[in-house]
Amino acid sequence: MAMAVNCATSSLLLTKPSNKPSSTSLKKTPFLGFSLPAASKPSIQLNRVSKICCQEKTALVPAGQQWMFDDITGPDVWNKTWYPKAADHINTDKPWYIVDATDKILGRLASTIAIHIRGKNLATYTPSVDMGAFVIVVNAEKVAVSGKKRTQKLYRRHSGRPGGMTVETFDQLQKRIPERIIEHAVRGMLPKGRLGRSLFTHLKVYTGPDHPHEAQKPVELPIRDKRIQKQT
Amino acid sequence: MTRIKRGYIARRRRTKIRLFASSFRGAHSRLTRTITQQKIRALVSSHRDRDKQKRNFRRLWITRINAVIRERGVSYSYSKLIHDLYKRQLVLNRKILAQIAISNRNCLYMISNEIRNEVGWKEYTGII
Repeated sequence: MAMAVNCATSSLLLTKPSNKPSSTSLKKTPFLGFSLPAASKPSIQLNRVSKICCQEKTALVPAGQQWMFDDITGPDVWNKTWYPKAADHINTDKPWYIVDATDKILGRLASTIAIHIRGKNLATYTPSVDMGAFVIVVNAEKVAVSGKKRTQKLYRRHSGRPGGMTVETFDQLQKRIPERIIEHAVRGMLPKGRLGRSLFTHLKVYTGPDHPHEAQKPVELPIRDKRIQKQT
Repeated sequence: MTRIKRGYIARRRRTKIRLFASSFRGAHSRLTRTITQQKIRALVSSHRDRDKQKRNFRRLWITRINAVIRERGVSYSYSKLIHDLYKRQLVLNRKILAQIAISNRNCLYMISNEIRNEVGWKEYTGII
């Protein structure tokens, strides 16, 4: 993966000071295309410094940090913000998470799921690229809500024709199609647009405790919300 | 006055604009009047977005740093990290922090631990 390459180069950079042969004369800096004039070597062996020129300003670089200006192969990590390549977001390499929705508060559960699907918990988050994971929800019919929402929360949909609004309560929808409750909640928390719609397909909701994704070896979804479990 | 036709004057002007819009999609790179309009819109967008680019990148860095920092502890967040950085007078900007977060996550954790411990110790002993 390109990510691994990135880490490797940076770790390579980090281990370089130990075995670097420093020579301060005729350095090619990454900032200028031509070589620097040879810096005068001070008589003391300990403080070997070299001059670095950047935009008509010079700076002294101690020998221990010379490696930062030596290794100019590879992408410029410090001036180009990392953007994922195609190899960084192949669907087959993404992690799969599984959550049991029994007695979990609907909104808090949906929020955590949406964060993981979108990839906002990763350092490699990019808003234009699908970097998130897949999430499986089981026991969807047992999801809990607080207060009187079970009988009072309304789910509306409109067919487009006049008088075509259908209103259902949470309870009725749970009896009819329990998966739709969690799907509706998570869809409201994902971005709306082409990318959001494809993110939504990474959510898999099932009633009952089994799911057909054993081959993907799903891991338990790490939940950081303390109030997600329904207090009985 | 003798009659003067304008000749190739308009065509010369329009070929320059056509060259600019040569990679646009569909009619936007073929029809003259549309080309002039699309060139203006493209330049306006690029002018406006050059300023937005600075904002957008800063948002992206902040989100990335936040994502990594929240893994660290239960109630540790980007805002607390920045507060600690300022207290310790560490001038690392968000761009560098985000690149560190991606390439070398442990390094960022080390930095944040250093700052947290330092700040906690100072507050504890009452030294500003």
